[in-house]
Amino acid sequence: MITFEHVSKRYPGGIAALQDVSFRLDPAEMVFLTGHSGAGKSTLLRLILMLERATRGQVIVDGRNLGTTPARFAPRIRRRIGMIFQDHKLLSDKTVFDNVALPLMIAGMRYPDIRKRVRAALDKVGLLSKEKSWPLTLSGGEQQRVGIARAIVSMPPVLLADEPTGNLDPELSQDLFRLFRQLNGQGVTVLIASHDLSLIRSMGQRVLVLSQGRLVDDIAGAEVAGTRA
Amino acid sequence: MSTRDMRRRVRSWGRRQLYSFFSSLGALVSHRLSTLMTSLVLGIAMLLPLGLFVTVENLRSLDLQQDNWGTITVFLQAGATKPQALALAARVEEQHAAIISVVSPEQGMQEFQEASGFGQALDLFEENPLPWVLQITLQAAAGETLEMAVRAMSDWLGDQDSVESVQADFKWLQRLAGLLALGDAFVTVLTVLFSLAVVVVVANTIRLDVANRAHEIEVMHLVGASNGFVRQPFLYLGFWYGLLGALLALLLLSLCMAYLSRPLEELLDAYGNTFEFRGLEARAGLLVLLAGGVLGLLGAWVSVQRYLRQFRLEGK
Repeated sequence: MITFEHVSKRYPGGIAALQDVSFRLDPAEMVFLTGHSGAGKSTLLRLILMLERATRGQVIVDGRNLGTTPARFAPRIRRRIGMIFQDHKLLSDKTVFDNVALPLMIAGMRYPDIRKRVRAALDKVGLLSKEKSWPLTLSGGEQQRVGIARAIVSMPPVLLADEPTGNLDPELSQDLFRLFRQLNGQGVTVLIASHDLSLIRSMGQRVLVLSQGRLVDDIAGAEVAGTRA
Repeated sequence: MSTRDMRRRVRSWGRRQLYSFFSSLGALVSHRLSTLMTSLVLGIAMLLPLGLFVTVENLRSLDLQQDNWGTITVFLQAGATKPQALALAARVEEQHAAIISVVSPEQGMQEFQEASGFGQALDLFEENPLPWVLQITLQAAAGETLEMAVRAMSDWLGDQDSVESVQADFKWLQRLAGLLALGDAFVTVLTVLFSLAVVVVVANTIRLDVANRAHEIEVMHLVGASNGFVRQPFLYLGFWYGLLGALLALLLLSLCMAYLSRPLEELLDAYGNTFEFRGLEARAGLLVLLAGGVLGLLGAWVSVQRYLRQFRLEGK
């Protein structure tokens, strides 16, 4: 589903964010991406979203080589990827419903279909009762779940999350990861960048470890479950 | 691409347009005060050329009412006879479509007595001192101005043997035509300048709007909005600003006219003129609204093109 082949990313000014990174995510796989801050997790996600382009190597998402894809196709690529942000990136002057509906509005979907899908997505994250609320009246965990509803509302085959548990207490984080696993069980490819190691271990999924822009470890799910720190 | 695919695409395009349309209206309504102020600035900017235009048009209609300004008065020599006068009148008619009245010395004396009030004093003259007079009102033919026709005819009449002198009001015609041409030029200059002002004001307003909604734009890009989709509501917004501005300009214009028309009509009535202050025709009004909208759109376009570039997230 997602393939990196010898990918390097160098920012103007000479900072190498990623160096010679190669890995492969199969459809319906769930993978954690970990490493210290500044290790290149965000850059890796930005490359998949076509927010950045690789300086060297190839990024292939859903069979499409992003290096040779013109910039005007970037929106179409992003519509096939659900992205969850640490700071939620919700619009505070729109209701929860409108926030979640945004990707579908952009896709030009019919309003009755939008309403059905948005309510289904909100139901899945347990926020159906909050559809008319404003994001700022919600707790951090609820806002994060609104962000997730927005990411899954267009039923994308790929879900990316950048530090989704950043501001949440452990219990909420656990709930969140369980939600990701549930989505993964429905066939969605999930890639989660996180530095919450204990939580990652508890999930028992494949883990990619980045350090200073290099992929230093690729641990299979079975091994993760076995390790103890 | 199959026709079904095509139709689906057109429909989703239409729904996106609808979304942009309502989201731009929402933005206007949620910032009522700033919308009103921006529109008012635009309205006043548009009012200035419009007001001058209406003034010039009214002067022009005044000109048309004064058709006796094109009348030539020809005084024949003292010894000229009735046949000579009639012959000259006939020759004028051959050359140009005109209404000619031939005034005999007796008629002239009578009119003068009635009009001047000198009545009895004039009886002191032993013989009538007035010559034969022709009053010629030319009808302007297609493709020539009245002024040119009057000038040519006056020149020709001045060269005739039996003619003592020729009086024509074409100097006034000339001056008025000159003033109107100047007025037209002013209208053009003001229109260009203030159109530019409208574009700049809208561009600046939209620029601020884009800056205020940077977060929203970023989020829209992140969840897969194309540049076109992000741009659309701002273009609509520019159009609304221009349209509202034009609407306010028309409103202000009619207010100004209502205020000015009474004293103006009274003044002109005192000069013996039946004058009606006229505003814009409905078609011109529609044109103003359209022009306002288009200028607003243009301003928004300029601004959005320039300021959305900084939000473009994908690399080169």
